[in-house]
Order: sequence, then structure tokens, then C-alpha cells
Amino acid sequence: MKSRLLTVALGILTAIGGFLDAGDLVTNAVVGSRFGLSLAWVVVVGVVGICVFAHMSGKVAAVSGRATFEIIRERLGPTTAGLNLAASLAVTVLTLIAEVGGIALALQLASSVDHRLWVPVAALAVWLVLWRVKFNLMENVTGLLGLALVGFAVAVFLLGPDWGDLAAQLVPQVPVQESAAVYWYFAVALFGAAMTPYEVFFFSSGGVEDRWTVKDLATSRLNVLVGFPLGGLLSISIAACAAIVLLPAGIQVDSMSQLTLPIAEAGGTLLVAVVIVGLVAATFGAALETALSTGYTLSQYLGWSWGKFRRPVHAPRFHLAMILALVVAVGVLMTNVDPIAVTEYSVVFSAVALPLTYLPILVVANDPEYMGEHVNGRVMNLLGTVYLVILVVAALAAIPLMIATEAGG
Amino acid sequence: MRRRRTGSRDVPRGPEPRQPGRVLDARLHLLDRQVLDVDGMPVCTLDDLELEAVDGRSAPDEPIDGSVPVVVAALLTGPVLGTRVFGGRPPASRWHRLSWAHVVDIGTAVRLSVRSDDLDATWLERWTHDHIIGRIPGGHHDPESS
Repeated sequence: MKSRLLTVALGILTAIGGFLDAGDLVTNAVVGSRFGLSLAWVVVVGVVGICVFAHMSGKVAAVSGRATFEIIRERLGPTTAGLNLAASLAVTVLTLIAEVGGIALALQLASSVDHRLWVPVAALAVWLVLWRVKFNLMENVTGLLGLALVGFAVAVFLLGPDWGDLAAQLVPQVPVQESAAVYWYFAVALFGAAMTPYEVFFFSSGGVEDRWTVKDLATSRLNVLVGFPLGGLLSISIAACAAIVLLPAGIQVDSMSQLTLPIAEAGGTLLVAVVIVGLVAATFGAALETALSTGYTLSQYLGWSWGKFRRPVHAPRFHLAMILALVVAVGVLMTNVDPIAVTEYSVVFSAVALPLTYLPILVVANDPEYMGEHVNGRVMNLLGTVYLVILVVAALAAIPLMIATEAGG
Repeated sequence: MRRRRTGSRDVPRGPEPRQPGRVLDARLHLLDRQVLDVDGMPVCTLDDLELEAVDGRSAPDEPIDGSVPVVVAALLTGPVLGTRVFGGRPPASRWHRLSWAHVVDIGTAVRLSVRSDDLDATWLERWTHDHIIGRIPGGHHDPESS
């Protein structure tokens, strides 16, 4: 019993620590510094959405033992699934670039060594973990270290804001100095950051890696339903930090160091050090997940052997795909692009690809051949359908808003 | 190859008589399914089926029009995504055959009774293994044991 409690606690803690990635970190800070907490509602909507779909994809993996993209190809055929693959892969690689860039920037904060020197080191470290480390260990370590980001929540209290004023910001409204289009552009970006598409592939394939069965469903549901909302709370506290310190000072976030400005003001060097550990762990964990997701989607679509639980020589093309994805990431980052800008674009393009990745999982979760008695109930389907409508609206709005606002100008 | 259209468009037919056993729809239950070997190792995705007339009377290149009973002779796979997406027929040399006799179960995946290493269809997997992944130190390390 004790070990079971420990398993559940560990699962929840890693879900909190693993919730945030570079997209969440950057977008929440940017939004907080420009809009205060007036977009916090988007994080809430996003968290509920990711809970619904993460649970669904975990269930599919546990019940059918098949990962999502195998089923997508089987049900939608090679053409539709191929389009899906192309879109998902493009967004996942873009996210991978953002995450590797994020690790490098966080290490630059810690060391004052230029981030471009850190990029190959970071990518090599990611690859070594993918190559050697056991799946569970990898998830637990990055998740638990990611908990250091609780420093943002601590900072909110240490800053001692006017709580009434902060609560008043929670009302969704366009601030006077910003236009409505920009407000909605960042709403879409924040939504894309919270619901990043790779997560569905990662959860379903991770369920297969962890050899989930129907018995594990209750545990996985608890992890998701408790861990993710708490992770969402961390997201909002990042925005709150920015809203308390950066918004009044008129500072706009365009580098990783501005992310830690409020932390330094609240808790000094010590808290900054703790948060940097969290930043490295969160981006490193997300880099692992996105790299794995590129391997998962490609291998499952093409029927290759895949999985970290196998020796690399027993899943050679899967490992080769991940190596290539990392090489592409390093190559792009070495062209001197701004990793923060890449991150901002990656969350918007995530929003564009969302319906493509989330519709199939909803279809599969309703398939009695795969799911047997565990097909979606009415409530899940209602929630899933409502979210699909939101996803389509966000996807259609993303590009026009990006052009109209010159990417948030 | 011996892949042919079944002739439902050419010959008007009545409803199928009820068959004993399990009825499989080729498109629904077979095409694009994951194929697993005897150890549960993924082999490939099923791309097509090779049909053969039961009595073996019709010549291999004669179109099957639905008037002759046929059986599935082999599962076909290979680098044929291009023609599957854009239409047309790949040259016969592209196909890898997996004999129907090796199929032991059709569920959410098609299971074979042979090992994936012994099949032609996985040559690229072996090539990547032999020439790239197997040469990187630690490639044979079992991640579950650490």
C-alpha cells in the first residue's frame, strides 16, 4: 500500500514538474508582462483541454496496447494520416528546436557562456539520455527537478503584491495600451502552449513504454487530473510574477534573463539559482519528450520498431529519426536564430496543428474494436467535441491574427 | 504483381451469403494495420494483399472479376507510400511478400509466427542496425537493466 501511495505521489509530482516547457515559460512571461493576468483564463481552458485529451490518449494506449499514430494510419488511411504526420512532425521539430534553445538559454543564465556554445552540449546530453537511460528514470528525474519552478509561485508571495489588485486583473479584458487583435493573438499562443500537440503522442506512446494496462488507468487519471491543474497554477504564477514586476516597469520579455528578473527581486540569487535548475529541467524534459515524439510518430506511421524500452539496435530507425531531429535542431539554432522567437512561433503553429492531432484521438477513443467496453462515455465525448470546436476556431484564427498583428508586434 | 481488383464494379452481385467463422473486411481489418512478429516486435505496416484463385486455374495476370473464389495468398508491404497516396501501381519488384501461412492472429494488429529478423521486409531495419546504430557505442545496451 505504501509503495502504491509513493507511486501515485511520484506520478503527480512529475506531472506538475513535467507540465511546463519552453513554450509555457516564455509565453506566460510575455503575456504577464503585457496583459497582466487578463489572459489567465486561457491557461485554465488549456489545462482542462489537455487533461481531457491526455486522459483519452492514455486510455487508448492502456486498453488497446497500440499507440496513437498506428491507429491514426489504420483508421484514416495513408493519405490523411500522412498529412497529419507532416503537420505534427513539423510542429514537433519546431518545438524541439525551441526546447533545445531553451536549455541553452537557461545554461547561459547559469554560466554567462553564450547560448550557441551550449546548444551542441545540450543536444548531446539529450541524445545520451535517449540512448541510455531507462524511460521511467528519465521521466521522474526531469519531472522532479522541474518542480524547482515552484520558485515562481514562491516569488509571487515574496513580492507581496496588492492581492485585490492582482485578483482584479483576472477579469478577461483588453488592456488600454493593447489592441484587441494582439490580445486574441496571445490568447491563441497561450492556448497552443498549454495544449502542445506532441503531448498526445507522447502520453499514448509513453503508456505503451510503461506497459500500462487497464489497472493503471485510475493512477494515470489521478496524475493527470491533479498534476496538470497544479502545473497550470505554476504557469499562471509565472505570468503573475511578470505582471507584478515587469508590467508596471514597462519591460517586455524578449530574453530568458527577464524571466528571472522578478525572481531576483523577490528572493535574490538563491531563488534565481533554484529557478534556473527548474528551467533547465523543464526544457530538458520537454526536449526529451519532443525528440521521442518525432521518433514515435514517424515509426508508428511507417510501421517501424520503436520504443525506449527496446535496445537501440532493436529499434534502429526510431533512434536514427531522433538523432536526425536533434541534428536539425542544432543546425537551426546554430544559424543564430533567437530561440525565444522560435518558441513564440512554435506555440502559434502548435495552435494551427491542434485539430489535426486531437481529432484522431477522439475518433479512436470511440472505436469499440480498439477500446471494447472502455469507449468514451457521454461526458468525455461532450468535452472532447466542445474542445474540438475551440481548437478549430483557434487554428483558423492563428495565422490571420499573426499576419494582422505582425506576430504580436 | 498479382494484385487485382475484385470485380464488384463489373459484375452485379446479390448480397454475400453468410459465411461460417469470422468475416474480415480487407480495408477495415487488414490494410494499414501494424504487423507484429512472433515476439511482438513491429515488422511493418500492411500495404496490400495478394489474392489467388482457389483452383489456381486462372493465369497470374488475368484480372479477377469476382466470378472465381479467391484466397489471400500473401500480405504485401514495401516502399510504396507514393503510389498508395497518389495512385498508380508500384513495380512488382517493390513488394515484399509475407506469406499468409505465417499469420496467426488478426486483432488490433496482425501477428505472425515468424521472427522479424528472418523477413525480407525488414532489410532496411537491419541495414540501419548494421551500418549506423549498431556501430554507436552502447547500442546493444538494454535500457531496462540500468
